Amino acid sequence: MNDNIRINELCYSTLSSDNPNSFETYVSLGGYSTWKNIVSKSYDKKEIIETILKSGLRGRGGAGFPTGRKWSFINQDSEDIKYLVCNADESEPGTCKDRDILRYNPHALIEGMLIASYAIGADTAYCYLRGEFMDDVYTSFKSALKDAYDNKYIGKNILNTNIDIELHDLIGAGAYIVGEETAMLESIEGKKGYPRFKPPFPALKGLFGSPTIINNVETLASIPKIMKNGPQWFNSVGTKDSPGFKCFSVSGHVNKPGNYEIPLGTPFKKLLELAGGMKNGKKIKAVIPGGSSVPVVPGEIMLETNMDYESITKAGSLLGSGAVIVMDEDTNMVEVIHRIARFYYSESCGQCTPCREGTGWMYKIIDKILKGKGTLEDLKTLESIPNMISGSTICALGDAAAMPVESFIKNYKKEFLKYIKNKEKVLGKNNNKEFLLQQK
Amino acid sequence: MNDNTFYNIPSEICTKINEWLLKFPDGKKKPAIIFALHQIQKENKFIKKTHINSIAKFLGINEIDVYEVAAFYSMFELDKVGKHTISVCTNVSCMLNGSDEILSYLEEKLDLKVGTSSDKFFLKDERECLAACCGAPMMQVNHKYYENLTKEKIDEIIRDIDNE
Repeated sequence: MNDNIRINELCYSTLSSDNPNSFETYVSLGGYSTWKNIVSKSYDKKEIIETILKSGLRGRGGAGFPTGRKWSFINQDSEDIKYLVCNADESEPGTCKDRDILRYNPHALIEGMLIASYAIGADTAYCYLRGEFMDDVYTSFKSALKDAYDNKYIGKNILNTNIDIELHDLIGAGAYIVGEETAMLESIEGKKGYPRFKPPFPALKGLFGSPTIINNVETLASIPKIMKNGPQWFNSVGTKDSPGFKCFSVSGHVNKPGNYEIPLGTPFKKLLELAGGMKNGKKIKAVIPGGSSVPVVPGEIMLETNMDYESITKAGSLLGSGAVIVMDEDTNMVEVIHRIARFYYSESCGQCTPCREGTGWMYKIIDKILKGKGTLEDLKTLESIPNMISGSTICALGDAAAMPVESFIKNYKKEFLKYIKNKEKVLGKNNNKEFLLQQK
Repeated sequence: MNDNTFYNIPSEICTKINEWLLKFPDGKKKPAIIFALHQIQKENKFIKKTHINSIAKFLGINEIDVYEVAAFYSMFELDKVGKHTISVCTNVSCMLNGSDEILSYLEEKLDLKVGTSSDKFFLKDERECLAACCGAPMMQVNHKYYENLTKEKIDEIIRDIDNE
């Protein structure tokens, strides 16, 4: 069944080589030839944007916004200083696809950043890596960047063509919120990662007040091959609204957790098979299909769903970053949402009241329920909070915190009720020490 | 945080900060705050008020600008911590693969509660996902990744540090 599936052809195409991250490997596989062509023949910027538009590539960070359209919001020919920013602040729980691109195919990202900078008329690009990448990942990315500089693909007078583009590595210091694009701009400017109110959108007024485009690692690393092989090579796989290949990080209760780059529209069943199937022969209970910010989907629905933007929306969730978290029949859903709620409570930047207070309320109520102290009234309050957060905050973190809570209660209300109505039995089984102590 | 003294930023760190500033438009100094804090934390393990005063002075900016960055980002420690920082990821994917037991094992082994330090170890209360979900359970020791953890692997990692 797996024989005919096309896997790791785009962002992970160097993985089958001995030294996947080396400059030599990338060049031997045809890397940098597109960039060479673009600069030596002074490609028309509009044509590049047209090609990306035609390919149908959608942003891979989570929102799925068409990349070509994003680029077209910038006035490429204006004299203004413009910036490209690569968002390598990968921190959506469940997501580890960009880390592998940075480690194993950094030159595809560098070439993609160069092409994007050229297309939008930027002469400076920044790649912002999350702080926790500082040892392994950052070091290997920096050495790839040096190789590209040494070979004159970046810098002043690129390949003797009078084109100048500087590409700088940057490092964060631990903050989930900085993955939000305007918070990232604040962070680059040396401030707290507070998302900015939009409009103005970054394409008009972004980094240091100049027009800026921010793209995800996987999005940018996809660009060179799309340019090289043409938009049709890319959109001949996938579906009409979800063309091309996408990296999925499959984690949780599977035998072979890992990153798999497959055509969009591939049945979830097949992806699960690639990931070695369910661990210990257990039955599937639920899947979070796009990172912890998206609604949870019951397993039996996922088994009938394809991995593309529109199918997952139909199943009641979102494709998000492509982080697929698989849970087996023994999973305690109250414990899982407790962990997720704790994360958003801790990572809310505190700028907007509904998110700052709401994430705290949700976590504290779930914590109370989990400890056997919850009441039916608490559950009612908990159910009412997501609605008060969604849509009333500057950035999407509020919605990201609200959606999972809403979906866990909707799909697994019985488990919450068990903690409330039948606490001794449930907590006894889980050997909850704190509760037992209180009983004494 | 009432300390008004200054710390002598080592000259090689000053050079690095000046080089870092070249990445940004002329006259922009704040973009080097995060980098400067990382450099000093690497030397001193945690950030003191005297460090903040000195970074502000070196960059010609207000102390509060440095302080609010140091306080906002979770990688900066404002209290004394041990020599080696261990962060066990306990987010969803790791939790499903037994990270709670890994954390308890480390607590017991190092005789430390999560979030506290000895001279040698700091068992950080990591709230974020560390982006290695397919290698769950995982942890970072001084930002180096260790994946697919077992108790035996942890014994080995701690033994290597002890033998350093």
